[in-house]
Amino acid sequence: MTRVVHYLNQFFVGIGGEDAAASGPASIEGPVGPGKRLQALLGDDFEIVATVHCGDDHAAGVPGADEEILALARGHQPDLVVAGPAFTSGRYGIACARVVAAATRAGVPAIAAMHDDNPGLEDAGAAVVVRSGPVAREMGPSLDTFAAAVRRVVVGEPVTGEHGRIGRVPRRNVLVDANAAERAVDLVLARLAGGGDSEVPLPRFDRVPPAPPVPSTADVTVALVTESALVPDGNPDGLESARATRWLRYALEDVDELAAGQYRSVHGGFSTVFANEDPHRLVPLDVARELEREQVIGRLHREYLVTAGNGTSVSNARRFGVEWAAELRRSEVRAAVFTAT
Amino acid sequence: MHRVQRVSLGEETAFRDGHLTVRAEEAVELLASPSLADVRVTWVSPGDSARVVKVLDAVEPRTKGPGGGGIFPGFLSPGRPQGRGTTHVLSGAAVVSAGFLPRAQEAVLDLSGPAAAMSPLAATHNLVVEFTPAAAATWEDVDRDLRAGVLRLAARLAEAALDAPPDAVEDLPVPDPRDGALPRVGAVVNIQTQGTFKDVFVHGRSLSGGLPTLVDPGDLDDGAVVSGQYGHPALKNPTYLHQNNPVVEALRRRSGTDLVFAGVVLSPEPVDQEQKQRISAYAARLCLLAGFDAAVLTKEGGGNADADVAMKMDELEELGLTAVGLFSELAGADGTGPSIVVPPTKATAMVSTGNYDERLVLPAVERALGGDRLDLLDVPATEELELPTAVIYCALSPLGWGRLTCREAA
Repeated sequence: MTRVVHYLNQFFVGIGGEDAAASGPASIEGPVGPGKRLQALLGDDFEIVATVHCGDDHAAGVPGADEEILALARGHQPDLVVAGPAFTSGRYGIACARVVAAATRAGVPAIAAMHDDNPGLEDAGAAVVVRSGPVAREMGPSLDTFAAAVRRVVVGEPVTGEHGRIGRVPRRNVLVDANAAERAVDLVLARLAGGGDSEVPLPRFDRVPPAPPVPSTADVTVALVTESALVPDGNPDGLESARATRWLRYALEDVDELAAGQYRSVHGGFSTVFANEDPHRLVPLDVARELEREQVIGRLHREYLVTAGNGTSVSNARRFGVEWAAELRRSEVRAAVFTAT
Repeated sequence: MHRVQRVSLGEETAFRDGHLTVRAEEAVELLASPSLADVRVTWVSPGDSARVVKVLDAVEPRTKGPGGGGIFPGFLSPGRPQGRGTTHVLSGAAVVSAGFLPRAQEAVLDLSGPAAAMSPLAATHNLVVEFTPAAAATWEDVDRDLRAGVLRLAARLAEAALDAPPDAVEDLPVPDPRDGALPRVGAVVNIQTQGTFKDVFVHGRSLSGGLPTLVDPGDLDDGAVVSGQYGHPALKNPTYLHQNNPVVEALRRRSGTDLVFAGVVLSPEPVDQEQKQRISAYAARLCLLAGFDAAVLTKEGGGNADADVAMKMDELEELGLTAVGLFSELAGADGTGPSIVVPPTKATAMVSTGNYDERLVLPAVERALGGDRLDLLDVPATEELELPTAVIYCALSPLGWGRLTCREAA
């Protein structure tokens, strides 16, 4: 018997719509709503032992909500966590994706279902996501696909595009017989003959449209942000010099200059000799203070945000960008100068 | 070519019946310099429960005869093209320098365990050179003198085999791109040029500021390219792999069968966009003028260096030449991120040397060289380590030595 915990939002467990979107995580014994149909499709070898649910605003908007939901699910000793289908519902999709990503990180097999266009797809990490229809009207066929994929996940069979898989499929390192140089020569010859498959898929990057210009800088708060890895001497918070997994913030209140010897770049990707002679080459506090005095800018933000942009994975870089944007918006910063190396 | 099967430290430096003995005092004398207060040499061999941390460079012992004439041009001999005549190679051995230098990212080399299959230096007997800088020396002096000393030592070890009968003799013809009807395929080798501790030398000089250039592949065999680049451990091209360039080897092996080896272009990797564009266009034009129909492109470095490969691939395709680039993937620890920072737009044939971010666990080892601690994790160097592949020396070899690639795990 495979013990399954099913994640649904407030709407599909019947608590309410937008009025209940702020409700926190909770758990109900057994299958609820679409879970009943899923249970029937999965048959007697599976038991949906509990349904964990949460309001969409809470699940998608409160930091750590995914871990809260996973903790509730794990209380039922699941062999598998399933989430959705979320169709094209954005916050619900993000919640489903984060819950299955958290479960996968914790070593609990997990699978979600949503539509290809659901923005949550990006957040599913290495977890399996299968296609659902765009709207709840297509619950029936969506659950058919979902149930078939659930069976494959449980026995460890691959879930591919043929089985409705969408989103990113994890790429794993494997050792093959021929070295990369020999494979490259093979690929040259295959290309010259008109064939040959690339080993690396072409990435698709987010394109973020620039924000509209600030009408006047004289009355807004401006922030300094950087990937130059400039940190106080001694690197008190241990910023990585390469493959950064986090970002840091350092106070600028009552700081008028970043003196040589007091600040230092730990960036591993360029020669920091000249930058360390004058840290303003990386974080232009000197000029920013001048502009503040001359009232060209309203006010300089009270801290600068920093990470190391060297071998950083795109997924981490994307996360830093999202977190910085949220952080600056919360602080009512209207413009930022991003110094890159 | 002489195969080294056993190694030891002993009373004299000698090579007999596959056994290489090194007189440690002689090795230390060869490395002596005012910038180095102390130098130590130690052997590690394949299969040992041993780890070398802070690996800087590795050099294969080679010589062209007594006195060193012609090997490592620009360092041990005049900086002029080599590649003709006889070269004696001690195959299966390397001189490996290890220790702290600024800007060097810590590289880990395990001689046994799961990482051993990922590094060319896990399959060689390595004479590890450790050093203590002199108090008054600058780091730049330490770097320069250490490199010169390691090259002297490597050449000296090969001289020990001059009187021994070779285990194999390879005849390496000079490429003639005018040959036959087969497709003419060359190699474009991008070389990092980012200043001290991130520079690579051709005939003793950095290519920084220069133009791509066509070289005699035999020049590489004689040590024309020497590494002084210590960033991105898994993506380093040590001197050892420039001496044994895997793309050149693959092209040579197949030359006359299903292709003609058309030559090697060495190119700098400039750091600003305008120069990257200029150098890429120039390199593509050079390939065309040299009669290439196609090229395999390699890099040194991380995402920045991807741009140099991608732009050259696109420029080659614009000129009607087929291009295949070797790339490592930066797909995140779970392998779901986009793999390439700057992908080509016109030329799309890429070979993967593996994911930089995937993590692996290396078991504890009995002894470690190169340092007592791994600063990256702040643990004793002999401990069990959980690390990204990025830290394993040469594991994602941009020159194509490795057998790693990425596959989708559905």
